[in-house]
Amino acid sequence: MSLRVLVSSMLVQMKKSFARPMFRVCLLIEPIANTILLYYMFRHSGRSDFGTYVILGGGLTSLWEVILFSSAGDINRERYSGTLSLLFAMPTPFPAILLGKIMGNTVLSFITLILSYATARILFGLTLAVSSIGLLIAALVMAAISFVVISMFLAYALTLSRRTVLYMNCLNFPIFLLCGFAFPIEILPQWALPLSYALPPTWAIRLLRMCFVSPMDPLLFGEYSLILAGEIVVFAFFAVLLYRVIDRQVRIRASLEVF
Amino acid sequence: MNGVKRFFQQAWLYYKGQYTQFSFQEVFIYRMALPLFTLIYYCMAAQYGFNSPRLTHWVIGNSFLLCTSQGVFRLGLSFGDERFNGRLRTLVVSPHNKLAIVMEKSFVFIFEGLLTSSFGILCGSLIFGISFADVNLLTFAIVLISGMVAAMGFGMFLSAFGLVSDSMHFILNVIYMAMTILCGANFPVSDLPAAARAISHMLPLTRSIQAADMLFGTVDGVRLTSLLAQEWGVGIAYLLLGFITVKVCERIAIKRATLEMF
Repeated sequence: MSLRVLVSSMLVQMKKSFARPMFRVCLLIEPIANTILLYYMFRHSGRSDFGTYVILGGGLTSLWEVILFSSAGDINRERYSGTLSLLFAMPTPFPAILLGKIMGNTVLSFITLILSYATARILFGLTLAVSSIGLLIAALVMAAISFVVISMFLAYALTLSRRTVLYMNCLNFPIFLLCGFAFPIEILPQWALPLSYALPPTWAIRLLRMCFVSPMDPLLFGEYSLILAGEIVVFAFFAVLLYRVIDRQVRIRASLEVF
Repeated sequence: MNGVKRFFQQAWLYYKGQYTQFSFQEVFIYRMALPLFTLIYYCMAAQYGFNSPRLTHWVIGNSFLLCTSQGVFRLGLSFGDERFNGRLRTLVVSPHNKLAIVMEKSFVFIFEGLLTSSFGILCGSLIFGISFADVNLLTFAIVLISGMVAAMGFGMFLSAFGLVSDSMHFILNVIYMAMTILCGANFPVSDLPAAARAISHMLPLTRSIQAADMLFGTVDGVRLTSLLAQEWGVGIAYLLLGFITVKVCERIAIKRATLEMF
């Protein structure tokens, strides 16, 4: 996999994504709106850590939307433009191009966290005290890797489908709910918890939240990191497997230009 | 008579056209199950944020919001979709009234929105244990329809901008976000700063959510009637504004000759 392809695909994708008005809504306006909404909903909660939920909740929900609607939606956009089959058939491996696109979107998506923090700070005077800057960076890197792997999985899964819009929307609010983007998953019914635990964003969010808890438990941080790493490996394995199936199906069905 | 028949034919054709590639199960998931997940998400966030075991306000408020969002989005996107499919020029030069086109394209979706809202209320009530025992269901239906009428007027007004803008998804999503914050579906309007409260009162739904809330507590007949009359007033005001805006936007669109840009 050529690094040059990866980097150029990433840079082109960042420019293309930013040119889309809807991407700018998700990236620049949603984190502000989500933070305002969550602040008004949580400010009477009486919890000392409500600021963490407001800022991370506002930022992460927008981050997931950016990743979901761009990474999965990009397949559909290529299909609509008639370039999906070209991308698939060219000598450069399709996964390299796709990975570059997803990495570009993921890098941009972290702007939502900055905007969410800035909104909470400027409008409501909320602050976050980081317990360990090193662990926060580690948590952010792990979260980014987990989102890239999930996006790859989703993008492959949606390569053959003409109903990308439907499936993209199916993965929005249900994932917010199951992964505890805005509130702890412990308030969900017991039967839903195994589903939550099986999804990497749940652990990524837990790790990020832990970085703003004082005193932080390093052992628990290590435990969550191991679980997240394990789930990333499992999702990556299935993504590779899925690509092999899709690669074969694409050639049999020859329907990449049908929309 | 022919005109009426054509209206319903066009409305049904457009509705069918939107879902031709989906199975019934997929349409059900998209239009019923997903809005329900949205409602559950906001209700659970409210449960956590307000430490409130009683979630009546959020179930009702968010069900109303779902109903409206479908109405506003469908109406608002009427010309946006046509632009994307390259038919906007044909529509603009046709002698047919432009608001009638918007009505045709969204007519069935309005009923779908009412159905989504009712489904949301029903499932939300079952999940969060909300009792309708003391609620006058006829009055509740009138409140829901009033909210929908106001939302339709608002959607008609917004649809006009589809003639001059290629970013209707951007505009509508920003407005939907504003409505989620300002309509009082998720927290009391009184919590907002004065300027935001003023905008809130200009939006559809704010009053119908208040009216629906009242039905679950002590009903003040005079206040309820006043809220509903105001909600209809908001809808009619936006509809009139829509008539003017569509004429202005049509003229600008023809002058600019950018109808095929997206």
